[in-house]
Amino acid sequence: MSEELYINYFAILGLNEDSKAGDIRKNYKKMMKDLLLEIHNLSSLTPAQLDEYLLKMAMLNAGYYILRDDERRNNYLMHRKKVIELEKKWCEVAEKDPDSQEADRLRREYDRALQDFLTKYMEELVLEAGRDRECVETSNWDPFHERHASRVLRHYRQKLYSQIHERLPYYDVTKPQIDWDERKKIVASIVRKELSEDE
Amino acid sequence: MNKKTETKKVVPQDIINKAFAKAIADGDIVNFRFLFLPYSPLREDSTEDIYSIKYSYLLPSEEEEETPRFKSALALVSREDIKEHIQKQLHKKGPPQLPAEPLLMLADNAVKQGKYTSASQAYELLRIRIKIQDLFFQQGEEELAKGNISNAVTAYRIASELEYDYGAFPEPLPAVPKYQEQALILHGEYREKWEECIGYLPIQAFLTEAFNYLFLSPEHASRILTKPVDVQIEFLVKLIQNLDPKWDKFVENVNKTIPLLQELYQDIKSRIERVAQGSLWEDEWDEGLDIEKYLAIPQILLGRKITPDEWWAYLKEIAYLHPASALFVARQLIGKEKEIILPRYDPNNPVAIKLSLPPLPTLYPEPHIN
Repeated sequence: MSEELYINYFAILGLNEDSKAGDIRKNYKKMMKDLLLEIHNLSSLTPAQLDEYLLKMAMLNAGYYILRDDERRNNYLMHRKKVIELEKKWCEVAEKDPDSQEADRLRREYDRALQDFLTKYMEELVLEAGRDRECVETSNWDPFHERHASRVLRHYRQKLYSQIHERLPYYDVTKPQIDWDERKKIVASIVRKELSEDE
Repeated sequence: MNKKTETKKVVPQDIINKAFAKAIADGDIVNFRFLFLPYSPLREDSTEDIYSIKYSYLLPSEEEEETPRFKSALALVSREDIKEHIQKQLHKKGPPQLPAEPLLMLADNAVKQGKYTSASQAYELLRIRIKIQDLFFQQGEEELAKGNISNAVTAYRIASELEYDYGAFPEPLPAVPKYQEQALILHGEYREKWEECIGYLPIQAFLTEAFNYLFLSPEHASRILTKPVDVQIEFLVKLIQNLDPKWDKFVENVNKTIPLLQELYQDIKSRIERVAQGSLWEDEWDEGLDIEKYLAIPQILLGRKITPDEWWAYLKEIAYLHPASALFVARQLIGKEKEIILPRYDPNNPVAIKLSLPPLPTLYPEPHIN
């Protein structure tokens, strides 16, 4: 089970979980400075690049904002651990008896916890970080960034949710058995219009 | 006391099979999911009647029943395991679990019929949408490598239109083209110089604007923007023709605007000359131009007059009918506070040439005011 899809701010800031406050600040400032320099050196930004850089800035700000404060950091670690454990528990039960009431109950509990975790640590606290004085000073974050970041963050959060679900037990649909070689042939025949209109 | 006996209606298995087969053959995810809902007419405990005229759309006609697509779908839902699963879900209290194999067939049928939002929803439910998108992009790359631009365009277009808008509120939805909105954003700023107008941009900048506008995601555009310029040009031409089979109508309308464009630019040139000789700008420009005459330009471009008679309204309508038209038009002031949309592009723009767009009158090399 890969935990990296559950946003890991330590990894984003290039830190370990036992990193000290000084290292957190040092890494954040250096990474933000490098990022701003990278953006500055571009003559123009495509829409895709704009979204990408906004997300990176927002993640660095959020990582620093969350990890530098003891209470926020501990809550973040606790929530993350809870979601990972719930996923593991649900998967174990679903493997043995996918149709059981217990599997359904665990799925709902996990889904709620996951949605709460992603909403809080992918959106709410990220936007809150954008209003923190130190983050604003370091990153030059402004209302323009916040306006565009809301859309980008929502997109990223939902995409993450969807990516996490790709590896989870199926419940809303029976598990598909996909022959990807066959899929490739079907795609080729659709593109080359090798099928008659009714097929 | 008399006991009331409840009789549940019985829906014959062949009707259930046909209803599901039709939804699958049509690539219709909405109907497919509807058939499982608590008030579905296929459920024994529902008060809805499948034989009612209002549900006739759920059942196939005789002609539909003869198509290979329907027969394949019917054979699938008639299979014992699928039939049993469907029956179980129709009797279940609570959210149904959709059967994967029929859903996959539905998604494939939807793609074949150009019902991309339906297909993307079905693939997303199966959690394979991103992989399917990648397969179409890969196929597009293979076709490009072989020089089959038309096939590459088909593949890229399908891949792009299978996109999901994860930023949609309150929940993710299939992304859909919104050219009428995108065109307004594209022309949000009034371009004061001819060289700034989209159709006059240097070719790579033009191609970048075009692909970012026509694809549903900048990420998709960036895939084609890495190709050599001549490939991008061919691809863009074919993409525009693929998106708009009636592109010739727009070309025809552009041709019709030429006489009025000539008059407009001649008029503007004379007024600039008179201002240079001492006339007042307010007299020549603010009060001078025959606005009613030149308002006909966007009307001819669209093919009809609309209300409101504003440049942005015409732009929205034209972009809806002919998505790529937004790349070949510009805003133009024709008085103190009146603007129109008119055709404007470099006569040497290779994309314009290949799309049969005619050379247009200009104000060059004389000085011009926009």
